[in-house]
Amino acid sequence: MPPDEFVIDARELVRDFGKARAVDGVSFAVAAGEVFGFLGPNGAGKTTTVRMLTTLLEPTSGRVVIGGFDVDHQPYQARRLIGLVPEEANIYTELSAWDNLMFSARLYRVPGDLRDGRATELLRTFGLHEKRHIKAQLYSKGMRRRLSIAMALIHEPAILFLDEPTSGLDVQSALAIKQIVRELNARGTTVFLTTHQIEEANQLCDRVAIINADRLAAVDSPERLKQTMTSVQAVEVAFSGGGPRMESVLRRLPGVTDVAKHGDKWRLYTPDPPALMPLLFDLAGQWELQVVSLNTLGPSLEDVFLRLTGQKVGPSAGGNGPGTTGAGKPGRGELRDV
Amino acid sequence: MYETTAARRQPEIGVEGPLERLRAEAGQALAIAIKDVRVYYLTPPMVMFGLLMPFFMFFSFSVGRGMGQEASLARLLALTTFFTASSAGPVILPMERRVRTFDRLLVAPVSLISVLLGKSLVGTFFGLAVAMVPLVGGLLAFGVRIADPLLLAAALLGSSLAFAALGILFGSVPAQNPGSIMMPSTLVRWPLLFISGVFIPLREMDPWARALSYASPLTYAQDLFDYAVSGAGVQGAGLDLVVLPALLALFLLGALKLHGLSRRMGY
Repeated sequence: MPPDEFVIDARELVRDFGKARAVDGVSFAVAAGEVFGFLGPNGAGKTTTVRMLTTLLEPTSGRVVIGGFDVDHQPYQARRLIGLVPEEANIYTELSAWDNLMFSARLYRVPGDLRDGRATELLRTFGLHEKRHIKAQLYSKGMRRRLSIAMALIHEPAILFLDEPTSGLDVQSALAIKQIVRELNARGTTVFLTTHQIEEANQLCDRVAIINADRLAAVDSPERLKQTMTSVQAVEVAFSGGGPRMESVLRRLPGVTDVAKHGDKWRLYTPDPPALMPLLFDLAGQWELQVVSLNTLGPSLEDVFLRLTGQKVGPSAGGNGPGTTGAGKPGRGELRDV
Repeated sequence: MYETTAARRQPEIGVEGPLERLRAEAGQALAIAIKDVRVYYLTPPMVMFGLLMPFFMFFSFSVGRGMGQEASLARLLALTTFFTASSAGPVILPMERRVRTFDRLLVAPVSLISVLLGKSLVGTFFGLAVAMVPLVGGLLAFGVRIADPLLLAAALLGSSLAFAALGILFGSVPAQNPGSIMMPSTLVRWPLLFISGVFIPLREMDPWARALSYASPLTYAQDLFDYAVSGAGVQGAGLDLVVLPALLALFLLGALKLHGLSRRMGY
């Protein structure tokens, strides 16, 4: 893609806080209309990077260009293109949703004749219209986050920065925000999303950058990243019965590198799932068992992350294993600090 | 779903003229000021340091000391504008930094000087409003006659603006806890109060104390209020009228430098 189609271009970004290096030589480019995920554990440098991209923090070295404007020399022009939703909803809790939006509209120089219409539209979209005149201090965390996003959209930015948009939210609020991100992107807004939720990045992003220990480990689409992990494939099988010896029998099957029990299912790690499947049927016949279910599983984004960060991939890694990241269960599919 | 199209987005970036930009920035500064008035007026720190402190100081050091009504009014006006106008910055800025609402202003297409001017207007409005209490009381209840009403208006506006900018300077020190700013700022304001001509009139000061008094912004406000209320200033109203706007510019410049430091430090 030619460079002039990039709306975010970060080159060799470095940020030091005293002697500690928070971001170390990060480079990436985001194309117009992309949902770009910035994925990494807490403390990896995601928020620091966003603050540098949005002119809030001066890089120690490196360069950021937003929509063709160098943020160091043309911050005013760059700011007119962006909306920022930080991790903590930075709304004015003493004001109502309506007043928060009206203030944002004035701050972003939305013409007076458009303000009411846009605010009403956003409040309806974000499910806040009924409570628009109630002070925001009475809102739930999800409502505050939605108001924060609405405030960032009042001037219809071409690029929206979302820092951990669903962190700490209930499932319903998180789903609503993901849906809003999809709809915004469908209408042409470029979205830069930081998250430590692997499944969120997997579901939303066209491309992800994996940042770890202040450095970029990889930048690519989720599926292409997974394809690089051919060694982490598995077959998941459930039998109608079995006994205490089942695990040792499964481990002795040709091509099986590891075995893990997941509820009533056995997950067998192998570089060649098709070759393993007939062996499992043979085994079931010998033991007079039925195969209740049989699935092949590819590598997950979490596996990719674990490999890129030099951690063990597979059943002992503490994650969900291949292809099963997230699934909405509390605490699963989240990156651990490394 | 709310609709965005490329055509509706920021078509005029980089093509607006200086006058258009100036008008827009003035509107943004005013929007910031009005928002802050609604959010922060009557919060406990503002009431404590801005509303009660000047009256407490006045009654502690002035009542029962045989001062004339005009001198008392001039002193009270200087005290109220000084404490009240300068109380907003040390409350608002650290609080906004802590809850990250200040980031909302910094990431908006508005210059930092407009943001700081908007914040200065908050203290200015506060100082002017609270100063109306002794002024109206003095005029109506005690029948004080103002020697130069126009000069009084200039003194009220000039000192409120300068002291509000002083508060912004304090509030711009890179810190996220209001307590880390408010108490030290009070510790700075008190010495400025005592070396000024508020409690010991300038004409009664020893030469060394008089020389020291020039270091306090309050000296110029007090002198200007003396001229305006009783016509009995010391330094020359012209000097006061030049120094107060110069202090406004100096304090805002200092605040800009501190915010530049914050951006480099990461606050």
